[in-house]
Amino acid sequence: MTTQIQARDLSKRFERHTRRAGMVGAMRGLFDRASETVTAVDAVSFDVARGEIVGYIGPNGAGKSTTIKMLTGVLTPSSGEATVAGFTPWSERRKLAQQIGVVFGQRTQLWWDLPLIESLELLQHVYRVPEQRFRENFTMAAELLELGSFLNTPVRQLSLGQRMRGDLAAALLHDPQVLYLDEPTIGLDLVAKTNIREFLAHLNREAGVTILLTTHDLADIERLCKRIIVIDHGHIVHDGDLARLRDKIATERTMTVDFDDPPTLDDQLETRGMRLLDQTGQRVRVAFERSRLTAPDVLTALTEYGSIRDMSIEEPSIESIIQHIYKA
Amino acid sequence: MDKVADFRNDLAVALRIALLRIRGQMQYRASFWMQIVGNFFVNIAEVLVTWSLFQHFDNLGGWSLEEVILLHGLAMVTFSLGDTLSNGVQSVPQMIREGTFDRNLVRPMSVYLQSVVSEVSARHFGHLTQGVLLLGIGLATAPIEWSVGRIAYLPVIILSGTAFFTALFTVEAIFAFWTVNGVEAVNAFTYGGSDLGQYPLHIFRRGLRLIFLWLVPIGFMTYYPALYLLDRADPLGLPRAASFVAPLAALLFCLVIRFGWRAALRRYTSTGS
Repeated sequence: MTTQIQARDLSKRFERHTRRAGMVGAMRGLFDRASETVTAVDAVSFDVARGEIVGYIGPNGAGKSTTIKMLTGVLTPSSGEATVAGFTPWSERRKLAQQIGVVFGQRTQLWWDLPLIESLELLQHVYRVPEQRFRENFTMAAELLELGSFLNTPVRQLSLGQRMRGDLAAALLHDPQVLYLDEPTIGLDLVAKTNIREFLAHLNREAGVTILLTTHDLADIERLCKRIIVIDHGHIVHDGDLARLRDKIATERTMTVDFDDPPTLDDQLETRGMRLLDQTGQRVRVAFERSRLTAPDVLTALTEYGSIRDMSIEEPSIESIIQHIYKA
Repeated sequence: MDKVADFRNDLAVALRIALLRIRGQMQYRASFWMQIVGNFFVNIAEVLVTWSLFQHFDNLGGWSLEEVILLHGLAMVTFSLGDTLSNGVQSVPQMIREGTFDRNLVRPMSVYLQSVVSEVSARHFGHLTQGVLLLGIGLATAPIEWSVGRIAYLPVIILSGTAFFTALFTVEAIFAFWTVNGVEAVNAFTYGGSDLGQYPLHIFRRGLRLIFLWLVPIGFMTYYPALYLLDRADPLGLPRAASFVAPLAALLFCLVIRFGWRAALRRYTSTGS
């Protein structure tokens, strides 16, 4: 298993100028600017093997795009090291560029005033793709992404979904080893989202392209990523599969219990580590920390309020975990 | 060797991009011509000022109308060519604000050349046409004793001036990496300088002359070469060789700007803004 992306203690600190309050403060600022250091990415380390698809997720401002900018060579880190496809991104930017494809969901890489086909042909020359190779990749992308109907339309007239497909095609004409995708399905309708996911899965399976993607869309992660890395406040807080993320982040389970008669509950529940979610007639729902209580503990505690007819336990949904991460 | 081959490829690709985009814009025929004609008339004021000057005086610092028109032509052709070439570079501050500049850093092509072709427009062709007309009139009517040397030097003047103005416009983009508001100050040198380059340098005060010769060497791009074409002695006392400084001064100026551009890029990749 070859390592395709390697990050070691990658950190990025920014100097941010702060404004002083009031007119006097503004005047002072003209001569002596106050600044503070903001750590956007703090000692981030991970390895991505060839052919992996990794979801890189976290709330806005957590350091996702700063990390990706360092791994594409756009930003030089304050400290730490990284290797992508054998190159140090920031010092071998141009060589690396030949090996990577980048798609920023909201910003096109295409020339807005040219028909899609001309943009793609120009990129052939930018990346110096041999004619034969270009034709093969172009045909494959045009077919799978169904570009045919809008190849001759200027990019600015394309719908968001069409443009996204064009951008994806543009990013892989030169057989990149690594593909960075920033919100590749944002703003698309369901069909377009599904098509793009299928295409990425195909690309990964057939060509062994390594993919690092950021997304807010749970379905992207479920369909594509066996592994997710979660970053928060510049730190990696999770690196592994979704199930393990659930164990780590969402520790609260829910138990629903049906009593024979409507019970009269008291605040004893709280002191025993349970939280009453709601009660409707005989049915009671309580939440509890899996680290503090087991399901039998909870059940035993509840039998004190009456005889129980039925019960069920719910694990937190993956959706709620992702929401939890993005809300943090 | 690699770098030379890379640069040659980049140049060819940039040219291809520019031509395709110009061709694309030509498909909107009306708007294409409107831009050019509009630009032609917007810039005609400068010529009218000179023309009305000569209604009251029969010379400007000893130069006839025909000679001043020649100088106008040289300045306008080089300025508008530089303006056209640096169109995209001038939009770098806007690209940074909109976050679209990053894509120039993730492609295997010179960031500068990518910036150059990031905005291609026929906008300045009107100004250029006007410059070419004036230059033609100047060359035809001004008292020039044509020789092999003068004919051969003419394209050198145009190329040097074009390179110079392209670099001068790049200064704006470089400043934008450090400050949002510094750009206006640079305009004084670009537009101010080009206006000044259209008139015989010796009619200006000493302070201005010094700035536009030794700091921003516009005088060496238009005025001194024109002295040679017109076979005039320099009233400011520099030797004839000053007329041939243009390519060297342009090269030096470009090297300084290249240094600044690289520093600006380094700053961008370390601050991301």
